Parts: sequence; C-alpha cells; structure tokens
Amino acid sequence: MSVADAELKQKVEELIAANPVLLFMKGTPEMPRCGFSMRVVQVLDSLDVEYGAIDVLPALQPLREVTTELSDWQTFPQLYVNGELLGGADIVEEMFDSGELAEALGVEQPEAAPASAAAAPAQSPPLQIE
Amino acid sequence: MIEAALPGAAVEVTDETGTADHLRATVSAPQFEGLSRLDQHRLVKAAVKDRFDDGAIHALSLKTQVPR
Repeated sequence: MSVADAELKQKVEELIAANPVLLFMKGTPEMPRCGFSMRVVQVLDSLDVEYGAIDVLPALQPLREVTTELSDWQTFPQLYVNGELLGGADIVEEMFDSGELAEALGVEQPEAAPASAAAAPAQSPPLQIE
Repeated sequence: MIEAALPGAAVEVTDETGTADHLRATVSAPQFEGLSRLDQHRLVKAAVKDRFDDGAIHALSLKTQVPR
C-alpha cells in the first residue's frame, strides 16, 4: 500500500471536521452505485438526519490510501460522526437496529421497522380455496 | 482462514450470490472481548485480506460477536 497523497489527506480531514455526519460512498445518495452504500443511505434517510456525502468513485484508490492512514479502514462506505469513523454498512446497520446509531446522532429512533427488517420477506397468509 | 488467524473462533460463512465471491460471515471469537465493533471487523478483515487482494472475494458482509 503506497503512501497517501498528503494534499488529499488534508482535504479529507477538513471535510470530516466540517461535517458532523459525513458519508463516504460509492455514487450519490440519489444514485448509489453500490448496494452497501445504498444501505447506509437508507438508514440515514430513515433517521431523517442531515449528512454530507462524498462520492469516492472518481478517486477510489487515492481515497482508500487516505482512509487507511486516517482510520485503518479500506472499504467504502464509511460513516463518520463527529469526526470519528463509526463503520461501514454492516456496523451502521447493526447500530441502527440496536438504536445506538440514533443515539450517536442525537435523533429519535423511528417507530417504523428498520430497513433491514422491512426487507425481510413477510409471511403471507396461506391461500384458501373454498 | 479466519479460524487460523483467530484460534477458537466460530465462523459461519454464507455464499450470498452462489458465485463464492460475495460472502456473509458471522464470526464469534474470544479475541473480540473488549474490542469495539470496528476493531473486531479489522481483525477479521486482516485475516482475509489476501483473498481480497487476489480477487477471490469481492464483498464480505460481517457480523462479529463475543462468544457467551
């Protein structure tokens, strides 16, 4: 793994400092280009929280080197809250389901079932023929 | 591979797509005790890094836990 570009690294550090909730993702919230990124967008949207989003695709490898140095984390998405890496899609979803994410973001946990539970196939009632 | 890096770990891997490169793993390891989720994931990812680097795995969904 080569050394991260110092200028880009500084830019990333500034972005993380300037945005209380910042998502590094593949694609945009409107058009995620990776299922894992989409899952984090869905979680953030369901919590109705404002966040900044950075599309990493135009500079994937340089950004990977930067986040490896900053946070020891190579994969995207990455969600930063108050300057700290919370995690990728798996951790964010787990924290959402447990209510820890809402707590970290200082918002109410929504009443509705979390996105991951909603995606599970509902048990449909057996068909009846009279 | 994970079990070799984390002796005593219980690992359950599911092939998400049937192509063996998008995997879902649940890892329960005594080494996770006292670690944050981030650090638990870092341990597992470090253990499988070579398979990512050689392209055998594209995506790994991870759930980690401390055994009870």
